[in-house]
Amino acid sequence: MMRRMLSRTDLDALVRDLLGAGTRVIAPVRRKVQGREFVEYAPVQNPEEIALDGSQPVRPLKQVVFPPTETLFNYKQDKGLVQIQEAPTTFSDTLVIGARPCDAAALEIVDRVMDWDYHDEFWFGHRQATTVVAVACTDSDESCFCTAVGLSPESTRGADWLLIPAGSSFEVRVVTPKGEALLESNKSRCPESDVPEAGKASSAVEEKVRANLAMNPAKLQEWLGAHFEHPLWQKIALRCHGCGACAFVCPTCHCFDIVDELEGVGRGARRRNWDACQPALFTLHGSGHNPRKDQSARFRQRVMHKFSIYPSRFGEILCTGCGRCIRVCAAGMDLIAILAEIGQNAEEAGSTL
Amino acid sequence: MNLYQPNLVRIDEIIEETADTRTLKLSFQDPEIAEGFDFKAGQFGEYSVFGAGECTFCIASSPTRKGYIEASFKSVGKVTQAMRRLNVGDTMGFRGPYGNHFPIDEMKGKNVVFIAGGIGLAPVRCVIWNTLDLRDQFKDLTIIYGARSVSDLVYKRELQEWGNRSDVKLYQCVDPGGETPDWTGDVCFVPALVEKAAPAPQDSYAVVCGPPIVISLTLPLLEKMGFAPERIYTTLENRMKCGLGKCGRCNVGPVYVCKDGPVFTSAQLKTLPPEY
Repeated sequence: MMRRMLSRTDLDALVRDLLGAGTRVIAPVRRKVQGREFVEYAPVQNPEEIALDGSQPVRPLKQVVFPPTETLFNYKQDKGLVQIQEAPTTFSDTLVIGARPCDAAALEIVDRVMDWDYHDEFWFGHRQATTVVAVACTDSDESCFCTAVGLSPESTRGADWLLIPAGSSFEVRVVTPKGEALLESNKSRCPESDVPEAGKASSAVEEKVRANLAMNPAKLQEWLGAHFEHPLWQKIALRCHGCGACAFVCPTCHCFDIVDELEGVGRGARRRNWDACQPALFTLHGSGHNPRKDQSARFRQRVMHKFSIYPSRFGEILCTGCGRCIRVCAAGMDLIAILAEIGQNAEEAGSTL
Repeated sequence: MNLYQPNLVRIDEIIEETADTRTLKLSFQDPEIAEGFDFKAGQFGEYSVFGAGECTFCIASSPTRKGYIEASFKSVGKVTQAMRRLNVGDTMGFRGPYGNHFPIDEMKGKNVVFIAGGIGLAPVRCVIWNTLDLRDQFKDLTIIYGARSVSDLVYKRELQEWGNRSDVKLYQCVDPGGETPDWTGDVCFVPALVEKAAPAPQDSYAVVCGPPIVISLTLPLLEKMGFAPERIYTTLENRMKCGLGKCGRCNVGPVYVCKDGPVFTSAQLKTLPPEY
C-alpha cells in the first residue's frame, strides 16, 4: 500500500504558508519557567518553535475550542434600560499541529454533550474553525492509560490528520473531509511513497501504556451503577483537597460557570468560565443545603460522571487516559490506582454474581 | 442570538411576600417574543440581573395567564440580592422555558393534592392556578401548605382567596413557635398536616415541593397513605447554571435535573441516589 509522507521541512513550509495566510497555528512548544522545562500548546509564529517529539503538553487542547473564559455577550445598561451586544460564534481559522491523540479524541467525545438537544454554538464555532493534526506518541510515562479507555498512542479519533513519525519524516493519515481539504492544498508536499508501514515504533509505546492499566470499561460501568454507596468512596477521597486542578487539566471536563463581569460603569459581559465539580460551592444551594455534602460525594461524582453517567447517556467514556489529573494532583490522587481498585471490586462482584 | 443570550423583560410589578421574599411580575420587551412565549406548568428559566449574574427559578405564574411571567425569590445570594434592589420598570434577562413539566393533561378528571413548604409553594402555585383556571376539568383540589412562621408564608393574598373558595380545600400550618396570637391555622410540621388533612389517595395525584426535609418525609408518607409512587410528583431544585444540559452541575446520579427534570415522580426518585 502506498503511503503519503511529509518531511519535517515540508511540514514547516506548510505551517509557514498557513501563517502567511493569517491562520492561527497552535502547536506544542517548549517552555522553561524557573528552571523547569515543560511543553505546552501555544500559538506559534515560526514553525521552528514546534516541538513534536517532546513530552505531553502540561495542559490539554480543550482551551482551543473551549477557552477558560468565553464572552457570551456584552451589555450596556443605562437607567434600567439594557442593550445586549451579541458575541460572535464564528471564529478565525486555526490549525493545531501536533495534538496528542488523547487530546484530539477528547474533542469528539465532548461533542456529544455539546450537541445534546441544544447545540452549543460557541463550542461548535471553535470546532468548525479548527483543523486538528495529531501526532502519534513516541513516548509515554507511568501516568498514561489511553489503551485502558479504548484509545491508543496512534488513535485517529477527533483528528483530521494523524502524523506518524518515521525517521525524519511523518506518515500522513488523512481522517476526515477537513483533512482531505488540507491534503488537497498540500499534495506536492505529501508524496506517495512505498516505505514500510510506520506504526512499529509506536507499538512499543502502546505496550508500555498497556502495562500501566488494564480495565474492562463495561464491567466498571456496571459496578459503578450499582455502588453509589460503598466504603471505597470515603477511603479514596480522604486525601482529596477538592481544589479542582484535575478538572482544569482534563481534556474532557467541560463543566462551566456563568458569571457577569463589570467592565466599567453601566457595561459588562456575561462570560462562561471553566468550573470543577470538586469544590463544595459547585452544588451548594441558596438555602445552604448541599446535595454533595462531603469530598467523597464530590470525588464519586467525578468518577461516576466519567465512567458511568456519560457512558450510559452518550455511549462514550468521558476520559481519554491522558493521565494529567494524576501528574497534577498535589495530594497524589492516582486515577490509575483508583480505577484498578474499582476494577478489582468489579471483578470480585462479577465472580459472586 | 446564541443559546446563552437572554430575552429582555421588564419588571411590571413587585409584590412583597415576606421580609426577604418577593415576587416579580415580568413581561417581555419584544412584542413578538411576548406573543410567541408559551410554557408548561413546572418548567423553569434562567433569570438575570445584568452585572450580577443569572439565577434559576421556576416560573411561578400559570401558563393559563398570558402576557407575563412571575418569579418568586428569597434574597440569599449575589443575584437574588441584586434582584431585590431592582424597581418597577427595570430590565432583567430571561432564558427559557427549560425542562419538563407536570402532567396537567393526565391529571384532568382526577383529584389533585398540592403540598408545599415555605418558598416551595412557588412551583406548586403555578400548578394550582393552572388547575383553578380550568377548574371544571379536575375533581377535588386540596392545598396543604406550611411555613416556618406566619411571617414566612408566601402568597398570603392568594392563600386567603383559596381559603375563601368553596371549590378548593386549604390546610395551613406553621412550625411550633412560628404562630401569632391570631393564627387560625395549625401549629405543626407539613407532614403532620398532611396526615391530618388525610387526602383520599384514590384517583389522586400529589404535587409536592419544599425544602429537602419536607420532600424526604412527605413522599414516603403519601405512599403509606396509598398514593401510587407514579402519581406523586415533585420538582427538584438543584443548583444550575446553563439549564441546557451542558454545564454539568445538576446531575443526580445519571439524570440531568435541567433536562430530565426538574419534575420527577416519587417512583423515579427511588431509582436515583439521594443527591438532591
